[in-house]
Amino acid sequence: MAFRTETLERSRGGMWPWLGQRVTAVLVIVTITLHLVLTHYIAIGELSFDNIGDRLAGGSVLVNDIVLLVAVVYHALNGLRMVVLDWGLSNVAGRRLFDAVLWSVGVLSVAFGIWALWVWVS
Amino acid sequence: MSAKERETANVGAGLWKGIGMWAWVLFRISGLVLVAYLFVHIWVISQGRIGGAESLNGLFEFFDKPLLVFLDLMLVAAVLYHALNGVRILLMDVGVGIKRHKVVFWVCMLVAALAFCAFALKASSFILG
Repeated sequence: MAFRTETLERSRGGMWPWLGQRVTAVLVIVTITLHLVLTHYIAIGELSFDNIGDRLAGGSVLVNDIVLLVAVVYHALNGLRMVVLDWGLSNVAGRRLFDAVLWSVGVLSVAFGIWALWVWVS
Repeated sequence: MSAKERETANVGAGLWKGIGMWAWVLFRISGLVLVAYLFVHIWVISQGRIGGAESLNGLFEFFDKPLLVFLDLMLVAAVLYHALNGVRILLMDVGVGIKRHKVVFWVCMLVAALAFCAFALKASSFILG
C-alpha cells in the first residue's frame, strides 16, 4: 500500500511551507558547510569568545551565520510542523494556533540569536 | 513524470519498505535531534552576550571532554546524513535520477561518509586524548 506524506494538500502542510522547506534546505546546506568547516573543523580546539570575535570581525562570516540562523530556524520549525501534521492535527483551529506558536517561537529565536551575536559586532 | 515513477523513487514515506523506509525514519529522527540541538546551540552562544566572555569560555572549557567531543561528532554525523539525504530528496523533486534512485542514495551516503571521516580524523585527538 503506497501512501505519501509529502502532498501539497493544506491538511498535510500546504504548498508554501513545502517550497519554503526546500529553499531553506539549499540555504542551510551552503551556509552550514561554511559554518562547520570554519568554526568546527579549522578552529577545533581553539574556540573561545575572542576566537569567535576574530572570525565574525570580517563581516562575511557574520552574514553567513545570520543567513544560517534565519534559514535553519525556519527549516527546523517547519520540519517539526511536518512531523506533527503527519502524525495528525486535523482540527483547523488547532492547526492555526500551532502555526501561530511556531511563527512566534521562530521570530523570537532569530531576534534573540542576532541580539546575542551583536556582542561581537559592537 | 507519472505517479507510478514518482512513487517508485521512494522518497519520504513513499513506500513503506526497503532502504527508502529506513532512509525516511533516520531522516525524521536526525531532524528531530537537530531541532533540539539548534535551540541548545543558540542558548549556549547567547551566553557570550548574557554572561560575557568569561561565561562563554567557561562553557567551552566544560565542553572540552572526550565524551562531549564524541557527542559533537555524532551531531556532525546527524547533520551530514540529514543534509545528504536531503540532497537526494531535492534531486527526486526536480526529477533527477529517479530511475536510478538507489544509486543516487548510495552516492549521497558515500559523500556523507567521506565528510564524516574528515571530521572524525580531525576530532580524534580530542576524543582519544
